[in-house]
Amino acid sequence: MTVAITDRRRRKWRGPKFALALPSIIWYSLFFVIPIAFIVVYSFGTKDTSRLLPVDLGKLTTGNYSEVFDDTFFKTFKATLRISVIATLMCLVIGLPVAYFAAFKVGEKWRAIILALVVIPSFTSFLIRTVAWRIPLAPKGEFSRWLIDLGLIGDKGIQLLETQTAVQIAIVYNYLGFMILPLFVAFDRIDVRMREASKDLGAGRITTFFSITLPLAGPGIAAGVLLTFIPMCGDYVTATVLGGAKGNMIGSMIASQFSQAQNWPLGSAMAVLMIGAVLLALVVGVLIVWVVPRLVGLLAPVSEAVRRSMHERRTARALAGTTRRSIQVDINRVAMAVWAALVLLFLFIPIGLVFRHSFNGGSSFSIWSGETSTKWWGELFDGGAAWAVALRFVVITALALVVKRVLARTTDITPRRLNWVGPGGFVLALVVNGLVSDWFRKIFDFAGIGDAIRNSFMAAFGATVIAVVLGGLSGVALARRPGRWAKIFMGTVFLILVTPEVMDAIALVTWFQRLQDVPVLGYVFKNGIGPFNGGMHKLWVGQSLYASAVVTLIVRARLSGLDESLEEAAADLGAPPARAFRQITLPLISSALIAGGLLSFTLCLDNAVISTLVSEAGSTTFPVALLGATKSTIKPFWGVGAVMLFMITMAALAFVAVVLRRSGESSSDIAATLAGG
Amino acid sequence: MTTNDKIPQLRMLAPESFRTKLTRRAIFQMGTAAAGLAIVAAACGGDDGGSGGGTDTTEGPGSTEAPGGTLASGDWSRVINAASGTLAMYTWGDYNDPDLVGALADSTLGVSMKVDYYASNEDLITKLSTSGGNSGFDIVAPTGPYIPQMIEKGLIQKFDKSLIPNMVNVDPSYLAQAWDPTNDYSVCKNWGTTGFFWDSTVITRDLVTWADFFDACMNEASGNCSVLDTGPNLWGAWCWANGKDWNGTDAADLDACEAFLVDELAQHIKKFDSYPSTAIAEGAYALSMAWNGDARQAYFRILEAGGDPSVWKWALGTPTTELWMDNYCIAAGAPNAEAAHAWINWDLVPEISIQDLQYHGYHTGMKDMSKLIEELAPDLEYGDMIFFDEEQVSTMSTQEITEAIDRQVDILNKMKAKAGA
Repeated sequence: MTVAITDRRRRKWRGPKFALALPSIIWYSLFFVIPIAFIVVYSFGTKDTSRLLPVDLGKLTTGNYSEVFDDTFFKTFKATLRISVIATLMCLVIGLPVAYFAAFKVGEKWRAIILALVVIPSFTSFLIRTVAWRIPLAPKGEFSRWLIDLGLIGDKGIQLLETQTAVQIAIVYNYLGFMILPLFVAFDRIDVRMREASKDLGAGRITTFFSITLPLAGPGIAAGVLLTFIPMCGDYVTATVLGGAKGNMIGSMIASQFSQAQNWPLGSAMAVLMIGAVLLALVVGVLIVWVVPRLVGLLAPVSEAVRRSMHERRTARALAGTTRRSIQVDINRVAMAVWAALVLLFLFIPIGLVFRHSFNGGSSFSIWSGETSTKWWGELFDGGAAWAVALRFVVITALALVVKRVLARTTDITPRRLNWVGPGGFVLALVVNGLVSDWFRKIFDFAGIGDAIRNSFMAAFGATVIAVVLGGLSGVALARRPGRWAKIFMGTVFLILVTPEVMDAIALVTWFQRLQDVPVLGYVFKNGIGPFNGGMHKLWVGQSLYASAVVTLIVRARLSGLDESLEEAAADLGAPPARAFRQITLPLISSALIAGGLLSFTLCLDNAVISTLVSEAGSTTFPVALLGATKSTIKPFWGVGAVMLFMITMAALAFVAVVLRRSGESSSDIAATLAGG
Repeated sequence: MTTNDKIPQLRMLAPESFRTKLTRRAIFQMGTAAAGLAIVAAACGGDDGGSGGGTDTTEGPGSTEAPGGTLASGDWSRVINAASGTLAMYTWGDYNDPDLVGALADSTLGVSMKVDYYASNEDLITKLSTSGGNSGFDIVAPTGPYIPQMIEKGLIQKFDKSLIPNMVNVDPSYLAQAWDPTNDYSVCKNWGTTGFFWDSTVITRDLVTWADFFDACMNEASGNCSVLDTGPNLWGAWCWANGKDWNGTDAADLDACEAFLVDELAQHIKKFDSYPSTAIAEGAYALSMAWNGDARQAYFRILEAGGDPSVWKWALGTPTTELWMDNYCIAAGAPNAEAAHAWINWDLVPEISIQDLQYHGYHTGMKDMSKLIEELAPDLEYGDMIFFDEEQVSTMSTQEITEAIDRQVDILNKMKAKAGA
């Protein structure tokens, strides 16, 4: 008997340990490691614009590196790091009280509301939100004039547009959500009993926070810092839209080396050094994190004494019967609530402006003409197509509900299964609408935006599927079959996460050009397959890199928290590996997959940097088209498009949320996995 | 209203904006007179718009004074070729009347258009070359001097000139340019020039020369000044201010230019912005180096933002400045070259061309321009920012691509780094 079991188990574990991660290994080698290696090679080449690929690798030189270290370029490096470090710290300082408040000071219901309000703004196009900051910052805008009228500022108006301060504000705004979520999760995970014990032992609120809560939240803080700092370093959108000459950041400088200056070798050298700088900054950060607690430890006797005396004073006061402390608690809580409300308001300012300016009667998105008009919306909803579509949705969904009632009464299908009828009806309505009418064309067929929105969804959906499959498989492999390969693999994943997007973008663009001559791949990326053109495939590849790395981490985190006994039991009971995977492992990681999928979907939907460089005519996504439009005047219909995109995304999310609720996931679980494990 | 209801049944040449002015009676007059008024009648609607590219063409010498002044008088070619499918254009920002690259192209030609934008000729070249002749774009609009290298790299293809008969409408002085003497690859889209635009409440003196511009940028408008985001233009401005030939390659001049632009000017610049009109209306700049069409747009935007356009002044840079010409070309490997020809040809019909001109504010190179404007767009505002007299034109010179181009771009990059520091 025992022999048979071991046989079976041995059969299960056949093949190399990294077998499940093999698709990811191939994917990352082909679309990350090799392209980046080429960039490193290019950085030693010389510029030769007479070639189609303007790099001469005939004579290798280190001249590009010394040029980067030239005074002026180096200054932009420093400015970028400074902006990013300051913005990261500001995000931490602004976001921490909000996360703390949501985790400890409110009930489950308010917690969900606050989290939703933090997440929702990120479902509006990143780019349009950034553009929307131009509105309140404009020196001759309404807000500025209002402040002048109130006599709060001089009659020159707000002098922030096209400055580093504007970039700083918008960059904090753009990444704040990515800081709050992981912080919240970290706080939320802290065992309340620890905090209670601390207070029971006589520690004050501040002592508890600094010696219990904060250290326990360390990993969350680290995650938040990573999730904000690295994208900031490579950000080129914010600086391009708001920065002006003084807010120039390295991301846009590298991109312009590749496009405008056609100096690929110099751009490559900058990109290589930039990764180096980011890694260096992280090392410094880790050192600080490592050194500070030890320094604090050195000061422990002093702080202990202070703490003790404070405690004594407090007990004395308590004995004296003063009620000051309870009042203080309330004040703290109120202050935190006010702060959280202000932060949430801050997060919604640009969204409100986007919505309002989609009703701008003028001809420019950012300049309010003083006249409200639905003309840009009218262009969108041309004719009755929209109403027919809406009607079909309502009718089919209503029918689905009726069917559900009837089934519930006449059959003995379990309520849990019946709950799928509603969402099923919604999907049916979607399909029917797609088949019966060319509704998406009719509704969106104006000014090229409709196509852009559709392309965005197609690109994001395809990339998400790839990310979930690759990330899911490699996440399982990492958690269940670690080994030496896992270290190398995790190193690659980490490198993907820290590589600034602009560098991925240029690496891929140059790589795709080389791939055009390779038999099969060349065909896929040149001619496309079926309904998808080559540009769409390039988008899938480009957007899937970061997304799959994120999914990998989430799945790995989820699985390593669960012990392997269930899978072993399944194997012991004779389930073949494929079945054990399907019936045990997959359900275990399903929530991680869904959360990872959601996160990748939103990231991909907003992707501007990689997409701009790799997209082609016919695969232009919304952010790409909008980034193109920012080069001259942005018309108000971009606001309309952004609102549409927002509403469609929200509908899709609501649908997913309903499905999740039906399948029994709690909302805080979803938030937890969403924020990275 | 009933008269107008019938109008869509005719596939016709007049732009949408003119269409509403036409009465049914006028249409029939034009139709029956058939005196070269090119109206392509198609049976109901526009759904049958030439599948497979059957070309419905009607042409003839226009002669009559069109009722209501809707068609220009004179000898014009107005051929319209029907096409089908989608047409992708890659062009400069905000560079065509949205109707002409949207609904009207669909209803008149039967093509559905998509437009993407680039910000510099280098961006365009990079996009086309990194996709290896497979960018998916049909029509592109490079500036003249960049055309030879695009031909050399195989990025654009030869026209089938028989499909662009309306090229005869272009003033010969805008054809046969140095970069494409036979117009085998390109035809003039429009041309423009460079000057500057300033707030006279901030800079109270009058600015005339490029030297004045630099001076104001470093004084009254310091920190509130924008310049074009292209290397050649900034090198050009320095040359124009200092009496040098901007097509020269003298190393000493380039060094002197770099020394001035990077070490003296850069720190005063607020942004490198090739399209400052919106930001001007937002109040971001007091002085901007600008292309004439964009500066003209700024007047309208300022008004819309509730500002006072009258305090803003425009000057064509003196003693010399540039004349640039952007051209329609067809990308190599264009998926729908037939539609590309049809669209370019359509945009060369005088009425269409003037509709475009009214939108972007650049001279489109049609012959008898002053007469066209008189007849088709009599109430055009700020016309002096679009049309220039002989004397002004004589101060303009066209860029040539020399071996100094890399250096010019390099100077721009150094300026950016310096300005940001």
